Amino acid sequence: MIGATIVKDVWLLLRDRGRLLSLFALPVVFIVVFGSMFKFGPDRGTPRPIAIWHATGDSRGEAIERALASTPGFTPQPLASAGAVRSAVAHDEVGAGLVIEEGKVVELVIDLGAPVQVRGPLQGALTGVVMRALAPVQLPPMIEPRSPPGIAKPIDDITSFQVTVPGNAVLFGFFIALTVAMSFAHERSTGTWRRLLAAPVPRWQALLGKLVPYLLIGLVQLAFLFGLGALLFGMKIAGSVWALVALTVAVELCAMGLGLLFASFGGSERQIGSMAPLVLLVMGLVGGCMFPRLVMPAFMQKAGLVVPHSWALDGYYAVLVREGTTIADIAPSLVALCAFAVGFGLLGVLRFRFER
Amino acid sequence: MMLALRGLGKDYGERVAVKAIDLDVERGEIFGLLGPNGAGKTTTISMACGVVTPSRGSVSIDGHDLARAPFAAKAKLGLVPQDLALFDDLDARQNLRYFGALYKLRGKALAERVAWALGVVGLADRAREPVKKFSGGMKRRLNIAAGLVHEPALLVLDEPTVGVDPQSRNHIFETVRALKQRGMTIVYTSHYMEEVEALCDRIAILDHGSLIALGTIGELVQRHASKAMTLELAGDVERAARAAEAHASVVREGVLLRVEPKAGLAPLIAAIEGSGATIARIESRQANLETAFLALTGHALRDGAA
Repeated sequence: MIGATIVKDVWLLLRDRGRLLSLFALPVVFIVVFGSMFKFGPDRGTPRPIAIWHATGDSRGEAIERALASTPGFTPQPLASAGAVRSAVAHDEVGAGLVIEEGKVVELVIDLGAPVQVRGPLQGALTGVVMRALAPVQLPPMIEPRSPPGIAKPIDDITSFQVTVPGNAVLFGFFIALTVAMSFAHERSTGTWRRLLAAPVPRWQALLGKLVPYLLIGLVQLAFLFGLGALLFGMKIAGSVWALVALTVAVELCAMGLGLLFASFGGSERQIGSMAPLVLLVMGLVGGCMFPRLVMPAFMQKAGLVVPHSWALDGYYAVLVREGTTIADIAPSLVALCAFAVGFGLLGVLRFRFER
Repeated sequence: MMLALRGLGKDYGERVAVKAIDLDVERGEIFGLLGPNGAGKTTTISMACGVVTPSRGSVSIDGHDLARAPFAAKAKLGLVPQDLALFDDLDARQNLRYFGALYKLRGKALAERVAWALGVVGLADRAREPVKKFSGGMKRRLNIAAGLVHEPALLVLDEPTVGVDPQSRNHIFETVRALKQRGMTIVYTSHYMEEVEALCDRIAILDHGSLIALGTIGELVQRHASKAMTLELAGDVERAARAAEAHASVVREGVLLRVEPKAGLAPLIAAIEGSGATIARIESRQANLETAFLALTGHALRDGAA
């Protein structure tokens, strides 16, 4: 019976262009858009321009310009005057600028109204560059960043796609819960559910038969998105592929549980179609699918842990970015996702009414 | 006995949808379940098919108790729901393959059953067309095919002709008769009197969740329709109708009273004339299932009064 349901639901999906687009094409659009928006990390070939002005022959200015040019991720953009630097920053043509006038302290031109999470890293990095350039003697390195024991080293060239591919894969991966709930509502409204209940099929099998096809479709969806991320956007898998697979299965199980929970509230396709996407979007937002939780305030980072998305993303980040990450390393994410899956599923089963 | 209902009833909270029905459907007969909308027909067959859990009573299908041996009982049963329970985006053959697979049909056996069911409902040449391109009548026929693809011993048809054109209706009638010829037992629910009269060997009449009559058409007419008549009145018809109620079951339609005297015509006429009204015309109606239904329920089948 489950085999027949899989065939039937795959056929139905293949004939539903809107659903196909929302499951497979829309996430790709989001990955491209978000990947282009968040150019954090080295993103080889696109260093960040920093506007700079100093008088010709000014030794301090030249030293700073040389230091800036030798710093990965930055490129100096000399302008004709101090005013031009300030104007370029004011008009968002560059993120920051440096004005070096003789006898004055170096002016870091930056929008102080920008959130500290956005401004802080840039301000800190440029301060470091200037201090290193102007130090009276070249000191040996005094600080070296290292990951603590137990946390694997990240890969060197983390691009924005290392984050936006899993972010959108998780966001749209969970949207299969909406498809599941809509499918239940559709079968109830057309009467095919009544036919199923009148057939010699155990009710648990009827329920499972509705979930298994979508579990498989969800796995294909995530495999497609991660495959595309790796092939087209240069996303790397620093850890174990098996860890990636385990995490993906856990995400899909969780999405199935959530879909069953949505379906257990009953309601028409229209009601589900207006309620569930909102819930999924808020979960994705809080969980860091659209904006990494790292840039969120501390309390929001903690609040994000109430949704499975954040656990999934923590796991994916480790697998994609940290070298040698194994299934054991992402155990907290796997356990949390399985707990969410069981919780959603149990609640869904307890609330689910076969007869209405 | 193909289907036996014993004390079968259903409550939804405080509301009693079906009280307690006792019913036997014989092997090989077409059994009609007649009643106005809301009478409890669909709830009754939903319980009989295991779609809805009864609040009381039991169901037995071909000797298998539905509660104790649900899969054995359901394997004997085919349900054709009132809704068009089909997948519009799949073609006719794919629909039937899916529904056949629910009954453990596989491979060649499934292909043969699908071809047979499509042939029975006259859709063999449309097997590869998506259902969404079908007319309403064709969808109704495919809906029936989906219920009989596993060739059940008992086929339950819930209002199978709702919204179909006369041509498709005739085709459905022919299909039902042909299935009876093959020895299939059929339970046919409808709120169309003429359909039940044309098709069914025996009829049960449901009203307000109760079984109020059971028998062949002839038995029902003989028992319940022999005294029905129509009186055309002049004067205060409303007062006359109230006076008549003591001596007959009465349905008023304008200046007409459809009555069935309880004990002779004379006291009824005396009561009406005593109320001040005069009787302009008396029409003794031909006894048929409709008059029997009227006599039993006090309202016409399509009043929607249930």
